[in-house]
Amino acid sequence: MATVAERVAAVTARVLQLDPSEITPEKTFTVDLGAESVQSIELVASFEEEFGIEMDEDAALSVESVGDAVTFITQVCKEQGVEV
Amino acid sequence: MRLILLDQQTDKRYHFNPLALSRPIWELRYGITSLAEKLIAATGLTDVACFLPPYMAEVYKARTDWPVNDPKSLEGDDLLIVSARARAEFFSPDKGPGPSRVNFDDDGDCLMIRVAKEDLGKLKTDSIDSLIESAKAAFEPCNCEIPTWNYIWELVLENPDQLTKDFAALGRSGVEGTIEEPAGFRGSKNDIFVGKDALVHPMAVLDAEHGPIYLDEGVEVHPFTRIEGPCYVGKKSILLGTKCREGNSIGPMCRLGGEVEESIVQGYSNKYHDGFLGHAYVGEWVNLGALTTNSDLKNDYSSVSVMLDGRTPIDTNSTKVGSLIGDHSKTSIGTLFNTGAYVGAMTLIAATGKPLPKFIPSFAWFLEGVVTKGFGKGKLYETATTAMSRRGKEWTQADRDMWDEIFKLTAPVRKPAIAKGRRSLARH
Repeated sequence: MATVAERVAAVTARVLQLDPSEITPEKTFTVDLGAESVQSIELVASFEEEFGIEMDEDAALSVESVGDAVTFITQVCKEQGVEV
Repeated sequence: MRLILLDQQTDKRYHFNPLALSRPIWELRYGITSLAEKLIAATGLTDVACFLPPYMAEVYKARTDWPVNDPKSLEGDDLLIVSARARAEFFSPDKGPGPSRVNFDDDGDCLMIRVAKEDLGKLKTDSIDSLIESAKAAFEPCNCEIPTWNYIWELVLENPDQLTKDFAALGRSGVEGTIEEPAGFRGSKNDIFVGKDALVHPMAVLDAEHGPIYLDEGVEVHPFTRIEGPCYVGKKSILLGTKCREGNSIGPMCRLGGEVEESIVQGYSNKYHDGFLGHAYVGEWVNLGALTTNSDLKNDYSSVSVMLDGRTPIDTNSTKVGSLIGDHSKTSIGTLFNTGAYVGAMTLIAATGKPLPKFIPSFAWFLEGVVTKGFGKGKLYETATTAMSRRGKEWTQADRDMWDEIFKLTAPVRKPAIAKGRRSLARH
């Protein structure tokens, strides 16, 4: 089973139309990966669909880097009883 | 005798959404005045109190001098309790005092209760619900049929005739403001009223041939606007080269351009640019981006259906119904609304070029052709705060509390739409 980091990278690569190798933990979604505002919303929706979770939009949209997204999603999965 | 306006949280209340989400039904516009003003005028009663859903009470208290949800207003005088759904034409001052009577509709919703002061002792007056229940048990039904409003689009469809009646009832005509020459007039000038401080720029046309035109205080009409009566434009609203077709009621502080026909705009809303709005009811603090257009007629001329709950189409039995747009909603340039579209309150719409779905839930961010959570209600509140401050109004804690409650009330229809949108985005 793919790790949370691998799944986050795969979703990010698909939504932002990037090569998965470009998605590294220190990269920020907006500055480094070029996510526009609508794509940020698409990313949140796609992470929710990928992991079967509901994220608070304010908290989710305040996450800046890929690594922080992995940490945040892992925490939300734990809180919502989703095994990852 | 005291008039008690009643707007209970009944199963039919959503028939007046999205406008009724954030205001009592009696505040809806119809002709030149509101439903409440019509009930007050019809009954001839000036001592007024009201009962409405508790979640909107604090906001409404800031807008009215009437006692709101105060059980003390159920004591000390003859009472005439009238549902906001009751049509004013049923009432007249001579139907005031009399024996205590009740009237409920077929679903058991209270339409009217008349209580003689000496009978108040027979009733529980600690709350409006207790009073209604005890009156139902204590008093004979009134042998009468009270006509009612059943759906919000009825106000839009009957608005042109009511405008003409209201103009006649107000009995005002003439120019108290300024009309700059050259101006074009059609019809009788007796059917035109231009209020104090209103300004009609040169090259505007006031066409009262088929109905009266009432421009309230401080209205500004820019050049190349053509206003067809019957029409009412509320205080300090501005028409910007508007093709203002017949049958419009425009509330205060609006900015309207483009083509508008047989529509009601509650107030404080903007449709600055070109684009067609027809047979629509638009709430407050709405901004319609350039070229936003609604369909109000189907290509096959069949009657229009509207989904008020996001699931069940309701046949309006009319071939002309446009959009119902809730307070604080915003559309992007080029938004296209389908015939009979329901656009909830606090929605943000970024159009994709295609006609939108017929139902968009409240607090939805419609992006990439689907309903999303977007940036959440916090961002919508920030925008509401900004929009209101631009018109000298304050977004208060009471506003926030009311909208938080509306967010909860509307969650059951929004959540499935968001889930569907999420699946759609994930498949891209």
